Amino acid sequence: MRRWSDELQGEFEARGLKVVTISTDYPEEIRKRRGAHRLQATMLSDRNLGVTDAFGLRNEGIHSGPVGEGEAEALPVPTTLLVDKNGVVLWMDQAENYQRRSGPEVVLAAMQQYLDTGG
Amino acid sequence: MQMTRKTVGTTLGLLAPVVAIATVVLWFRMNSAIGIPEDRTIWIVFSLLAIVMSVASFVIGTRWFGGVAAVVAIFPALLLPATIAISKQQVAEQAIKVGDTIPYFVAVDDQGKRFTSDALAGTPVLIKFFRAHW
Repeated sequence: MRRWSDELQGEFEARGLKVVTISTDYPEEIRKRRGAHRLQATMLSDRNLGVTDAFGLRNEGIHSGPVGEGEAEALPVPTTLLVDKNGVVLWMDQAENYQRRSGPEVVLAAMQQYLDTGG
Repeated sequence: MQMTRKTVGTTLGLLAPVVAIATVVLWFRMNSAIGIPEDRTIWIVFSLLAIVMSVASFVIGTRWFGGVAAVVAIFPALLLPATIAISKQQVAEQAIKVGDTIPYFVAVDDQGKRFTSDALAGTPVLIKFFRAHW
């Protein structure tokens, strides 16, 4: 899989932007895989979907993740949100289909459009 | 006449898994190289073509090895249509949207430390929700 984050690290830093990732993985799973990402990000574990539900992003369709004892009961719809310093959502990109996701060029374009105009 | 008919059926049966497997292999290769293509029609068409070939081989009549190949072809041929069918996502009506203020939230980070969204105040943030496990 392409590492969108590696390409954008400099762009994030230039804009003083914090990156937060949220998944249903346990902290130790995230830690284990963290080596694969060079991204300086806050990587959060949302096993009980508390954050996902606060954002209303639980996938209510069928998900193909593992099911059963000890597995997360649902998964978030993959979503990328660009939020300004006041906490307002400037832009979001959501995969209606989980096989698609925001590439680096899409995220970069959004940052240029919404953050670089001083708006 | 009977012989040639059977030869056609057998050939179709033998070719069906070739088409089905080639489609799946190409699909995965393409995905790992450049990402998911926007238009997936062609992939579905080839998958369905393999299924049609399998069915046709039985309808026309086939020798046993053509039949075995035709049955084998069904599985890879169904893979793409099946994954595409289940990959639709649905979110609740009250899902966050542009212009909303993000909710306050609490979670644990990869070190097991408590994190609250207060830590994000005053800076722009990129928040990425993603599916676990891959």
